[in-house]
Amino acid sequence: MAEADEELLERFASHSVDRDNAAHFRGRLNRQLLINRCGDCGRWHHPPKPVCPGCWSTAIEPSEVDGTGEVHLLIRLHQGPPAPGVDYSTPYPVVTVELDEQQGLCFTATVEEGDIAIGQRVELDWIERAGVPVPIFRLAREVSL
Amino acid sequence: MTSDRNPMKNAIAFAGATTTGFERRNTTRSQASWAAEACIDAMRQCDLGPKDVDGLCGSWPPANELQAILGLPEITWFENPPVPFINHVSAAAAAVFAGLCEVALVWHAAYRQPWNTAGSLKDPFRAAAENFPAVAPSPDTVMHAVGYTAWASRYMHEFGATKEDFGLIAINDRSNAARNPAAALTHPLTMQEYLEARMIRWPLCLFDMDVAVDGADAFIVTTAERARDMPLPPVLINAAVHGMVANNEEDQIDGLAHHGQHIVVDSLKAKSDFWIDGADVFFPYDGFSIIALAWIENVGYCGAGEAGEFMRQYWDAESNSVRLNGKVPFNPHGGSLSEGATQGSGHVREAIHQLQGLAGDRQVPGARTALLTPGGFFFNAQGLTLIRD
Ligand SMILES: [Zn+2]
Repeated sequence: MAEADEELLERFASHSVDRDNAAHFRGRLNRQLLINRCGDCGRWHHPPKPVCPGCWSTAIEPSEVDGTGEVHLLIRLHQGPPAPGVDYSTPYPVVTVELDEQQGLCFTATVEEGDIAIGQRVELDWIERAGVPVPIFRLAREVSL
Repeated sequence: MTSDRNPMKNAIAFAGATTTGFERRNTTRSQASWAAEACIDAMRQCDLGPKDVDGLCGSWPPANELQAILGLPEITWFENPPVPFINHVSAAAAAVFAGLCEVALVWHAAYRQPWNTAGSLKDPFRAAAENFPAVAPSPDTVMHAVGYTAWASRYMHEFGATKEDFGLIAINDRSNAARNPAAALTHPLTMQEYLEARMIRWPLCLFDMDVAVDGADAFIVTTAERARDMPLPPVLINAAVHGMVANNEEDQIDGLAHHGQHIVVDSLKAKSDFWIDGADVFFPYDGFSIIALAWIENVGYCGAGEAGEFMRQYWDAESNSVRLNGKVPFNPHGGSLSEGATQGSGHVREAIHQLQGLAGDRQVPGARTALLTPGGFFFNAQGLTLIRD
């Protein structure tokens, strides 16, 4: 059964959950990365919007993506907002990953430390933080040919 | 879609501009107090009394509060735009041009607050005024100010740019600030100090990010005709533009080759009477060093990724700053990195002072034109060209 709206808002209090992105956050509770896809033209977009920016259709379908892609942006936070399990004494890495589903479709999350650099292939995994699943990228295990 | 239509060109002017100067500490004054001081100075500079101002434009305090503080009897137009500051300039200029008001008082009060410096929380008044979110935001994001750090990393990746390239922006600003009595940071900055500075969000360090300050700037905007009857030489608004692209979220923009700055450049070029070859002083916005590097490239001084090399080429050893062709400075007041985080109001004020001949030790001899490019990449890129009447 779907979480009640109030419970969803409470569990993701550190994010700005609204009507347009609620499905995305519900997906996280099931460890599914849901990205909006247009039911009419097939275009993906993120963050979630109420209409498709490509064709203005309202037939938006939050759809699971593979979570594979390439590191496009990379930062390391030497300080930042307090978060459980995050200790900035080791700089906290955050990546923006261009997802394989569509050129230019990007998703931002933390990443497993290692030799992360822009251009590397990554895949999605999940960790638990304060009782909520949090998406995390890690270096892709298999070398794609 | 870029249009050269610009019926407002040179019809609206800055008659005056003032500053309180900026301090990098929690002063015992309110934000409204700083705004009021700058506004009163601007009205006096232009020989205006309370009845002479009928337009108000500023963010903090909002127009109704500023009107009550200054006891201005009749306001026919007001606006409380979001920053950065060309929002204020274009709104006030358009309002005067359209006849919604005759004389607009425009201000920006910079203030140290929890969103720009944690140090502000040491002041109990500032802490009490803040509506703290019950839960801290997630760190797993490049939204808001973090976005510039993310694109700085991409810039280094794509062009092989170095930290030294970013450092030149900071050093140029600091050297110029030393000649600006209004600036918050005036002690010299060496490349060594820059490279050893505290990392905040890799790859950007403390000196890549604007300095939170207390202080305010204020301006009088009116018709060129009316400004000519006031004490100082009018500075004409040649063109004011804004730029934004569809994919404007911090982690979704198409890339370093297509964002708000590119729209600004196309539009400002089309509407203005001069471009970089005719600019006597240039103000690449520097809320983050990466923004200034991108503006230098995008306005056309050099190619993508070449701003560091360009600055080295035109580096003046004596002033320890950029002097293009031996004379044109970049951010002569010290910019947001050293004068203070003014959201562009400091850049506009300094440009006006340069064109009025009021820039003191920083004066560019005979400066008649200024090119300003406030704002960043995503949803706040802006441009302004000014000409001395
Ligand atoms: Zn569509």
